[in-house]
Amino acid sequence: MKKRILIIGGYHKAQRLARSFLDKGYDVTAINKDPAHCQVLAQMRGLTVMTGDGSKPFVLEDAAAEQADIAIALTPRDDDNLVICQLCKKLFHIRKTVSLTASPEKVKFFYKMGIDSVVCALSTITSIVEQQAFLDEFTTLLPLSGGQLRISELRLPASSPVIGKTLGELQLSREVIIATILRADQPLVPHGDTRLAAQDVLILIAAARQEAAAVKVLTGR
Amino acid sequence: MLSLNLFGKSKLTVIVGCGRLGSTLANQLSDAGKNVILIDQNEAAFRKLSPAYAGLMLTGDATDRATLNQAELNRADHLVIVTNNDNTNIMIAQLARECFRTPQIICRLYDPQRECVYREFGIQTLCPTRLSALAIERLLADCAAIPDGKQEGGY
Repeated sequence: MKKRILIIGGYHKAQRLARSFLDKGYDVTAINKDPAHCQVLAQMRGLTVMTGDGSKPFVLEDAAAEQADIAIALTPRDDDNLVICQLCKKLFHIRKTVSLTASPEKVKFFYKMGIDSVVCALSTITSIVEQQAFLDEFTTLLPLSGGQLRISELRLPASSPVIGKTLGELQLSREVIIATILRADQPLVPHGDTRLAAQDVLILIAAARQEAAAVKVLTGR
Repeated sequence: MLSLNLFGKSKLTVIVGCGRLGSTLANQLSDAGKNVILIDQNEAAFRKLSPAYAGLMLTGDATDRATLNQAELNRADHLVIVTNNDNTNIMIAQLARECFRTPQIICRLYDPQRECVYREFGIQTLCPTRLSALAIERLLADCAAIPDGKQEGGY
């Protein structure tokens, strides 16, 4: 059966997400308070749109929330998002709830309140901007366990001191792992005797606190 | 930080939302000699308080932990949450229970449909619609009991 996704609130974010989910073949319903936003959303082929306040149980019921597999709350208010996700969980038994929050301090609290996945736009964007400002050949792909562990991508510049060396010769912390190497877009499984070349893209799994040191070893900066 | 040492060990009630209900309750508790801290986002809301109100007022967003810290919620015995937004009330109630372990939390919810979800959370909720309906029902019953009696009283 097709997975059913419920998107509550949000306008631009809801549009982008709905498009992407529909393209992947999911069944998507969007709930929005604003009738004008609903009209625009309704122009998307295949998207079911409902006008109403998603934090009201009867609106969720009309949107067949009990049949949804995933609920995503994107309203601009933290309290609305929290209540929407809790109603989805408690009244409609939706397996997975995802909530946006405006304030980084509330992330932990939201998890504690039973929401399965909490995304803070502010901290996500600032951390990406920070990364970009720091080094352009280095990007965090995925922060794990609240950002303590990160999967990141690093392209070895021609000036790197480690080019020509084997992985076994590198002085990397034990908390940094080179998970894979992309050479000319082909993945290589790294071993101790693998020699690094310029323009290799390294996929690192590293403890956040060791990342800067690892970048320094690998790029010489 | 507000200094409350002058209150000694007596019980403290924190009220969030200085609307008609919040201000009326704050006035009553203050008249009865209770310690009250009233929080509202909007400073102008405090004008509803009577000149005799002897409690404290704090302007700030109570969904923010910093504001609740400032109101010394950790030492409050009762928290009454009566802003005009149900979802805000629910979030503050859960914050208080999780992060401040407030012994008694009372929360107004306009929408009776949401009540069932939050009752089990250890939060006492009251719904004006349901209370009014009960009160009206009682008045109707009283009226039926007295044939052509004069109607008096109310809630």
